[in-house]
Amino acid sequence: MPKTRWFYPVLILLLLIMTCKKDVQSDAQRYVVLSPEVAEILVAIGAGERIVGVTEECNEPELLKSITRVGKFGMVDREKIISLQPSLIFCSGLEQEALADEFTKLGYKCHVYYPTSLKAMYEGIVTLGTLTQLTENAKAVADSIQSQISAIQIKLGEKRKPRVYLEIYRDPLMSVSNASLVGELIAAAGGENIFPTLERDYARVKAEDVLSGSPDVMICYSQDTLANVLSRKGWQKVPAIRDKRVYFEADINPDWLLRAGPRISLGINALYQILYGDESGS
Amino acid sequence: MALDKKTAFSIFLAIISLGVIFLYLFAMSGNSNIIYNLRLPRLVLTLMTGMVLGGIGSVYQLMLANPLAEPYILGISSGSAFGSILLGVLGFTILMPLGGFAGALLTMILVWSLANKRGSFDKSRLLIAGIVVGMFFSAGISLIMYLFHRDSLIILGTLMGNLGRIFSIVEWRVYLALAALSIVVMIRLYRRSLILDIMSGGDVYAGSVGIDVNCIRREIFVLSSLLIGICVAYAGIIGFVGLIIPHIVRHFIPNGQKRIFLYSLWSGGVFLLCCDFVAKHITTLELPVGVITAAVGCPFFMWLLLRK
Repeated sequence: MPKTRWFYPVLILLLLIMTCKKDVQSDAQRYVVLSPEVAEILVAIGAGERIVGVTEECNEPELLKSITRVGKFGMVDREKIISLQPSLIFCSGLEQEALADEFTKLGYKCHVYYPTSLKAMYEGIVTLGTLTQLTENAKAVADSIQSQISAIQIKLGEKRKPRVYLEIYRDPLMSVSNASLVGELIAAAGGENIFPTLERDYARVKAEDVLSGSPDVMICYSQDTLANVLSRKGWQKVPAIRDKRVYFEADINPDWLLRAGPRISLGINALYQILYGDESGS
Repeated sequence: MALDKKTAFSIFLAIISLGVIFLYLFAMSGNSNIIYNLRLPRLVLTLMTGMVLGGIGSVYQLMLANPLAEPYILGISSGSAFGSILLGVLGFTILMPLGGFAGALLTMILVWSLANKRGSFDKSRLLIAGIVVGMFFSAGISLIMYLFHRDSLIILGTLMGNLGRIFSIVEWRVYLALAALSIVVMIRLYRRSLILDIMSGGDVYAGSVGIDVNCIRREIFVLSSLLIGICVAYAGIIGFVGLIIPHIVRHFIPNGQKRIFLYSLWSGGVFLLCCDFVAKHITTLELPVGVITAAVGCPFFMWLLLRK
């Protein structure tokens, strides 16, 4: 049939054209930042002006609030990101790691920042500096965090360490181990985590173990209220609850502890206040 | 002297019951506060949940004349889980049992009105209505899971069973009242056993001896929905218990719904206690109890099938 003679050659030609990759990199520095902690760091090292898109969770500092939103942490609008023509995409770990792979396949440059220790965080910040050619600023930011944390360490000395229970989930109960960044922060602020070793950074724990761990301080990020915590059956004998040393999001902003960014020094100071504030006052 | 199957089963059950209750309360170090305030409530919750699941499983298998029937087949559990998960992800963790209960009631009314068309309440219609409504709410749960994937733990806890609930003092009193109500309802179901036995001979036969078949089915549906609502609201959905326990019991006690019901109740409770004990202690990380019921229950059931 003469009419279909050209069909296959044209189809093959079209397919060939489709496989050719467009050069998606542009010269201008345009960053799309999906991870709230990276957004904070980039602003702190002076790369805030180059950010063209962020996720809804990137709410700090003020500067970010006027930038285009490209979705939520776990659910981004891929087309919107591509339409912003980013030169570099910054992702976090967890569900965003898969996202980074996807964008790498599409030919975009992606950088994953997901430190689980203070050391990894310092190194990560410096790497972010190298990527943005602002190494000096990044080093300064990392150093300032480091020096604030060591200042706390010096204040600590040989004090008795209060036992800390950090609850991140109520049903089922979940806490953090020392292998997580938060766990390390508790230790750095002079607390003793009642769950130093769990199978994972964030893991399910048993109520029995919380009770027998008898924490002196409880940090409650599980959306529970003070009245509810105080009325939990069998928990009244726990020192933290007996002495009402239970702290909530209003007392210590979870972002200060959970985001591996510049505000972590605020977090560690707040933790220190919670653990030792009463003693230094008296 | 060879023991007959029934006696052997009773003795076995009694020994296991005592052993597991003792282990459950006193294994692993724990002071009296922990035993009295954490382990005892959990024991009561687990035992009640297992009893309800085993008992209703036996009733449903007989009433629906379907060996695959289990307490969750009429959709009540999905509705209940949906209600409780919805409140959970919206931040009202404390009110989750209330949501579960409301969900169960809503589903019950829905299944009821679908099954009750033109005054007949026959078993296939009930089964289909239940399955369809159940699927609808399962889809709802999937949607919530997709939208609120940060709260996937609450959702998983409800879908795979979470017996480690933290009771507040008031909540515990409410639960005790509901548990007492459950026992009354179970006694009522027990007293319906003979009629259920007769109904299993067919609607026409049951009608000929003066039983209002539709009315009985309706009553059992409402009572069992109530029980399942309470169960799912506090413990989530725990699979397999309601399916395999009645079969195991029937293997030892082939007929007589009265006895089968009683034994299903108690074996269900004890089986769930064993599973929960394993789930708590097998690894340092507490496993969802639904995983253990399936892992223990399936091989045992296979063995039973092979032996027959």
